Amino acid sequence: MGNFDLLMHGFGVAITPMHLMLMVGGVLMGLIVGVLPGLGAPNGVSLLIPLTFALDPTSAIILLSSMYWGALFGGSTTSILFNIPGEPSSVATTFDGYPMARAGQSTRALTLAFMSAGFGALLGVIVITLLAGWASNFALRFGAPEYFAVYFLAFAAFVGMGSAAPMKTLVSLAAGLLLASVGMDSVTGSIRLTFGFEDLLGGISFLVVVIGLFGIGELLSTVQEGLRFRGVASKIDLRDVFKTIAELPRYWATYIRSGLIGIWMGITPGGPTAASFMSYGIARSSSRKGAPFGTGRPEGIVAPETADHSAGSCAMLPMLALGVPSSATAAVMMGGLMIWGLTPGPMLFATQPDFVWGLIASMYVSNLIGVVLVLATVPMFAALLRIPFTIIGPMIVAICFVGAYTVSNATFDLWLVLIFGLVGYLFSRLDYPLAPLVLAMVLGHKAENAFHQSMLLSDGSLGIFFSNPLVSGIMAVGIALLVLPKLMAFGSRFRRRVPVE
Amino acid sequence: MTVKVFHAELGTAVATGLLGVAGVVGANELGHGWTESGPEAGYFPFYVGLILIGASLWNLVAAFIHHRRAQAHLAAGGEADEPFLDGERARRLGIFIAALLAFVVVTLTMGIYVGSILYITWSAWRQGGYRLPLALGTGAGFALALYVIFEVIFKIPLLKGPIEPLLGIY
Repeated sequence: MGNFDLLMHGFGVAITPMHLMLMVGGVLMGLIVGVLPGLGAPNGVSLLIPLTFALDPTSAIILLSSMYWGALFGGSTTSILFNIPGEPSSVATTFDGYPMARAGQSTRALTLAFMSAGFGALLGVIVITLLAGWASNFALRFGAPEYFAVYFLAFAAFVGMGSAAPMKTLVSLAAGLLLASVGMDSVTGSIRLTFGFEDLLGGISFLVVVIGLFGIGELLSTVQEGLRFRGVASKIDLRDVFKTIAELPRYWATYIRSGLIGIWMGITPGGPTAASFMSYGIARSSSRKGAPFGTGRPEGIVAPETADHSAGSCAMLPMLALGVPSSATAAVMMGGLMIWGLTPGPMLFATQPDFVWGLIASMYVSNLIGVVLVLATVPMFAALLRIPFTIIGPMIVAICFVGAYTVSNATFDLWLVLIFGLVGYLFSRLDYPLAPLVLAMVLGHKAENAFHQSMLLSDGSLGIFFSNPLVSGIMAVGIALLVLPKLMAFGSRFRRRVPVE
Repeated sequence: MTVKVFHAELGTAVATGLLGVAGVVGANELGHGWTESGPEAGYFPFYVGLILIGASLWNLVAAFIHHRRAQAHLAAGGEADEPFLDGERARRLGIFIAALLAFVVVTLTMGIYVGSILYITWSAWRQGGYRLPLALGTGAGFALALYVIFEVIFKIPLLKGPIEPLLGIY
């Protein structure tokens, strides 16, 4: 069966009244989560995972991924109307989105953002559709060394391509790997790093960590910045919507460029946040005429939004085909997959075609639903931010703790949320990236197992990671991603004869 | 109370370094060498711990270098860096974190329902300046919504304290 037939089969799975309802519900919940501070896509999905145990995996993933799309849309809404990025990946949207809304063109800014987001997502899903079969066949040739090489590549990409200082990314990654190794070791069966605390025997749940880092951490940042939001009026004028849609083709070059950046950053683990910044930067440096960026340039909204969403949807491909998520939210979803008893990786395509293609088909449908829903409900959700923080803040706190408790009914987890909340606040204030920590926690066991098995195969020689063209190729790409971006930055600084900061 | 970025960087680097040390020490107890059946249980955490210590040291040194440069910049008449936390922000954060801590303690002893009712009521009443009945109503409404969503619809039991059984809720 070709990809097209499989996709049509997927539509058959995805388009049922139940699934459509889940998509609408997921997108709406995602919008709420995206709009509210302290609730973002990664921890929104974490909070929802315990509730999905009653659903079958296909319905569950449709619900979670729809929530993700909704959260991405919601994040752009607050970026534009309130100058508060609801998601880290929509920070770049504030640069031109908020000035445009301030200038009285909030409908235009929102429409630009949502249409670009929808376009980016569509582009991403098309790429997934085209590459899915090929990627899974490719991944079928993988053994333990290749898998370790892919994990290495994912980690290396974060360190090399992330926007944070490489050593801070490394700290975040290593801390995640260490946290993942707490508790029972699945290979040797020994209890590790519990230091006698019985509560740690079962390990540290990454869901709890995500809720703390992203939920409480973000709330603490909000509190520190003061408790008031100042927003722009958020009425949607339908005529403006259509006028804006009519002007969209003018930005075709920005669309294509940003889409490609997003696809690249989504498939290699750069993630949507890096993609949106990169796309914004390139759009700015390649524009020649017109008002300067930062004053409400349409391209300044189109570029980050398109890249953000195409990266967000493309991140699903490596997650499904290789078991390597390239964004924090994809990492959480992959954790969910494992909790539901599915093993992400190439075998998933062979053994669970309904699941995989149902998900891919649902991405077309739910993004469409997302664009329409978000345009229809923006005023309502923007009103959520007008609820005083003294009321909504404690509610978000309570929801975070309830969510953490429902993960495994352990009271110890409540302390973990508090601790990781403080860690999340400190890390984000000091520009330590959080996504690598989550990724490392989800991948830690798998990376270690792959390493362990490779070592068994080779009797302890690291040479196995360079023993055949495939594995050496992946390792080479990983090493290149690790060192090249910084070398290039250093080189260009050298050429420009600007003193090294 | 003012906290400088420099001090926050130092503290964080030391803390992550200590986490690395904990990993190395813990892994050492398990053995991080090789046996006939491959690497021992502590192998992976041991080296990850070493990497974490190394990266933390790097960040520590980087913070010092940045600080020296900022000092020189300041001496040359430049502007000082923005502090990590100034008095007002520290006070706001302090109150919020204290309330958070109180919420966790109350939740652990009295259950999530009592905890969230008290927390939301307190925040709306004392911080938001709403009248007590309205604040209490908001808190109670929220707890009711939690109950309906989790226990009734999804059948997921939440953490309860000694009061709920008296009301016939298990």
